[in-house]
Amino acid sequence: MRLHLDNFTKRFDGNPVIEGMNFVVEDGEMLALLGPSGCGKSTTLFAIAGIYRADGGRILFGDRDVTNLPSQRRNVGVVFQNYALYPHMSVEENIGFPLTVGRIRRDKAEVARAVREIAELIHIEELLARKPAQLSGGQQQRVALARALVRRPGILLLDEPLANLDARLRLEMRSEIRRIQLETGITAILVTHDQVEAMSMCDRVAIMERGRILQIGPPTELYRAPVNRFVAGFLGNPPIVFLEGRTAGQGSFAMDQGLHLPLPPRLRGLPADRPISLGIRPEHFGTGGTAQATGRVTFVEPQGRETLFDIETAPGVILRSVQPAREDVGVGDIVTWPIDVDNLLAFDAEGTRL
Amino acid sequence: MLSPALILLACFYFAPVALTTAFAFTDMSTATGIGTGAYVITPNTLRGLQDEGLPEDVAAQVMAETYIVDRAGLDAAVAAGMDEGFVADISARLTGRAYDSARDFIRALRELPNAPRSPRAITAAAEIFGRSALNRRFETREELAEALAIATPEGAIETREQLLDASYTGAVFTTENFRRLATQRETGRVLLNTLFYVSATLAIFNVGLALFLAITLFYLPKGLMGVFGTLWLLPRITPLVLYAILWKWFTWEGGFLPILAEQVGLPSFNYMKGSVVTAWITMISLNGFIGASFGLILFSGALRTIPMQQLWASEVDGATRWQQVRRIILPQMRWPILFVTTYQTMSLLASYAEIWLTTNGGPGRTTTVWALEAFRTALFNYSGNLEYGLGSAMALMLVIVGFALSLVYLRLFRFDELVTRPRIEF
Repeated sequence: MRLHLDNFTKRFDGNPVIEGMNFVVEDGEMLALLGPSGCGKSTTLFAIAGIYRADGGRILFGDRDVTNLPSQRRNVGVVFQNYALYPHMSVEENIGFPLTVGRIRRDKAEVARAVREIAELIHIEELLARKPAQLSGGQQQRVALARALVRRPGILLLDEPLANLDARLRLEMRSEIRRIQLETGITAILVTHDQVEAMSMCDRVAIMERGRILQIGPPTELYRAPVNRFVAGFLGNPPIVFLEGRTAGQGSFAMDQGLHLPLPPRLRGLPADRPISLGIRPEHFGTGGTAQATGRVTFVEPQGRETLFDIETAPGVILRSVQPAREDVGVGDIVTWPIDVDNLLAFDAEGTRL
Repeated sequence: MLSPALILLACFYFAPVALTTAFAFTDMSTATGIGTGAYVITPNTLRGLQDEGLPEDVAAQVMAETYIVDRAGLDAAVAAGMDEGFVADISARLTGRAYDSARDFIRALRELPNAPRSPRAITAAAEIFGRSALNRRFETREELAEALAIATPEGAIETREQLLDASYTGAVFTTENFRRLATQRETGRVLLNTLFYVSATLAIFNVGLALFLAITLFYLPKGLMGVFGTLWLLPRITPLVLYAILWKWFTWEGGFLPILAEQVGLPSFNYMKGSVVTAWITMISLNGFIGASFGLILFSGALRTIPMQQLWASEVDGATRWQQVRRIILPQMRWPILFVTTYQTMSLLASYAEIWLTTNGGPGRTTTVWALEAFRTALFNYSGNLEYGLGSAMALMLVIVGFALSLVYLRLFRFDELVTRPRIEF
């Protein structure tokens, strides 16, 4: 089911948290709301679920305006961060709960069949008799997912579903949730502060900051062409390095500390002596390119498959490099490594990408 | 580390129960006193024993007053500090004489030249020579036995023992209290009253109303909770006497409710004491409003510990408000409901002050409950003979019933299941 937020506004105690937000999630698409905590992503999710009331604008499920419908009548499935399983019910009762409440009466056999079906999809058939307290975190997560899906909701809403899992389970559940979403073809929204989750699980990612969506698009687009410094800095791990300096004529960039670099070809036309900041992602330093930078290695972090380096190219100016694992460079070494100029990102004084 | 706690526990928790238990098996009352008793045979004692088959002649012998002037009597008189001249007179003129009545002996004494002027002194002097066992206070059993041996020389040993037992004025150990409770018809009536009082107050107010209010307030805006919580606390913090007076103003003839009833044409009378039904309603309400605040506060706290997400989840799942209350909230309130039920059952079982100050168990004895009856028996009644022993026995029954009920409640609410730790932490 297509979801459309039209000029959605939410205030708490009169303070606007979200002002005039617009976005569309196409039928069967999975969208991530990604941003730091407090950016309003969960608020948006709960407003779509009907837990919070919108203070302005419209929320449309398909062609249906649900803005003023209570959550009971929206037919959405929600997975909460702490799973919110009902502790006094068995797994089977938990999953079947949405089918046994509300105005429609269903007979027991029908409920049992639906529960079994969804349990098979989620791979938890053998847990049905247990109580939530007897489940591991990952199993609780699956039960919560089954409960959210059993009513065949129009939209699935996931609020930080992986935040409470350990690293290994997180990896497993990441692909599980995506598999189930693709198999059911359900429209889904994932709220997360983890860029890897957002980028690996979703068709599109919306980056939020302070109640606004800064950029919305496929993960790679956001990574390659961020609209501003915030998006560029938020995506990427290890993060991008920003260098503050000025244009120096003939398409070059200069820092007060003495570092000079050529600008990418598309920015060579910039007037001289304009304050800009240059963003260099670690994978674009030390792996190939037309320009070069020389500096002293100040920090080495081997990560198995890759190695991270911090290079001080000028006093106080540290570039970061990530390269396939190598052990020939140590702290204190002077290195001269290439910079991939074509992939450099430049931002003006307001932070907008040039 | 544990010993101070154990000492406190022993002093303030076990000691009262132990003492109550001990007293319950005695016939202690105002008449016996709480200390050691003496040995006194009164005409009443004899009459009672005669009903149980004491031979007529023995009773007559014990009743008879005998005064004998002999060496032992004279020595006793000197020892008692009597006027020496008077003693000498008695010794000289009356030695060897015996009198059958106090009047004759006192007249004889008064005629002596050195007799004291005060009639009291003469009576006291006469008593020293008295050999009657009747109405005399003996400190020990042996003294009385000696006196009895003189009074009824041919009385059988068993008869004497019977007399000695019956003459003891102090408390003795007995199971009589329990026999009385088990046999008198009043017991059943008071038990039923208590059962009705406790269960009705508990169900309607202490749990029912409290739960209803807590859940209603839970769904209202936050600020209201504080205001309402305080309002419902008022009966609890009002001094009991004042609260009782307020209820009198409220329900007595000329009070608020009867006047209101008169205006709308309903029967108007003293609702507190005027009829059995209204007396019960008054009694249950006034106790209930005190108890409801406790449940309200506890339930409100418990409600706030249910994670908000669970309630959101149930709403998203399609549950109506009622379904949310019945299927998500109430099952998770089992422990607080158990606690309030248990605690308030004990409170109500033991409560009597509110009833004493209002209906006082009336009209008649229709609203008399166990605790009130125990209080009246042991500590407050018009006849003046406070039966501590019987009252303790009644109190002991309350303790036992309360203890048994808590066990039943724990069973009923599957307490062991509530306290088991989850096998996986999360």
